[in-house]
Amino acid sequence: MLRASANKFGYEMDIAAIADPGIPIGVPGGDLLLHLVDVLHGESAASLQSVHSGIIERLGTEALVDAAAVFGNFQMMNRVAEGSGISIPRVAIERELDIVTRLGLLDLKKS
Amino acid sequence: MSLVLRDTYYVLRDTWFPRTLSCRAIPHLSALLPSNLVSMFDFSDLPFPVREDLKAAYRNIWSHFSEPGATYDATQRSGILHHARRRSGHAHPDQKAVPASIAELARTLYADPGSVDEALVRRAADDQGDPATVEAVSLVSMLAAVDGAHRALGLDLTQLPDPLRGEATGIVSEGLTRRRTHLPMPRGAIPSALDLVPQEARVFQGSFGAQYMTDAEMAYDDFERSPGLNRAQMELISSRTSLLNECFY
Repeated sequence: MLRASANKFGYEMDIAAIADPGIPIGVPGGDLLLHLVDVLHGESAASLQSVHSGIIERLGTEALVDAAAVFGNFQMMNRVAEGSGISIPRVAIERELDIVTRLGLLDLKKS
Repeated sequence: MSLVLRDTYYVLRDTWFPRTLSCRAIPHLSALLPSNLVSMFDFSDLPFPVREDLKAAYRNIWSHFSEPGATYDATQRSGILHHARRRSGHAHPDQKAVPASIAELARTLYADPGSVDEALVRRAADDQGDPATVEAVSLVSMLAAVDGAHRALGLDLTQLPDPLRGEATGIVSEGLTRRRTHLPMPRGAIPSALDLVPQEARVFQGSFGAQYMTDAEMAYDDFERSPGLNRAQMELISSRTSLLNECFY
């Protein structure tokens, strides 16, 4: 889905940046949005305030609200996935095997 | 009592709405919420406004938290939510009403979802039943959504609502089975994962539109909020979040 939406907006996105935020993502403000997630997960020592300032300056306050809402939504979705044990169909994994491999998703245990 | 949810409607405060209705329509329905919830989630600590549909979605979740569920009364539900947020040495009285297996699931699912496995979920399901376990997964997951957004905005977490009186409704769907999953569910993607307990499923599904995209918006790869994020930007956040939660899905 991410690849399809990036194509639709004409972005030259490097999906490997999802797993390695050191790689330029090619989506406007994408580095800041990934950084926000990393700060919230303790993966970055940067302050939340500095990331907020960057997002507001580059994308606006509405974008920061959207980012927080999406982050919350996927905290929920991930927990429903783990709690229910819903799995990805094998055919879907095989269809996206290049992305799955590049992101190291086969190393994740399950849902 | 049991009920099979076959219709395309959900209920908010005894009023039926099409399930396709976005939470964006719900702000106009604030009169249907308890008065103490209408003033919650006003985000007055922020120096910029928050969308009304998002406020309404969070109020709806909080209202849902305060009510009796399908298998647990509201005090037990409150206890599950307090277990999830538990801080060491700080126990809420409602936590005593929660069975140990459900408490363990709630704490683990909230704090470390990547470590939740089938054994943990099945322990809860064997002890309390599948509907009770679905209800607990639902409560903790929706709590993680609201708390996650607050953390992302740099805000203190909102106090959990006081539980309302009343007994559990007993309303669960019939005929669902495990499909190589930890819990019974219909065929389909994750939005249907909580369908065993319709009361949970409709609040869960009703929250997508404000937090992410409605079903209708999902049909468009070029969806964007203006002003706000476009779909590609939103999917960056969802992808990185899932990766760091070690969630393949």
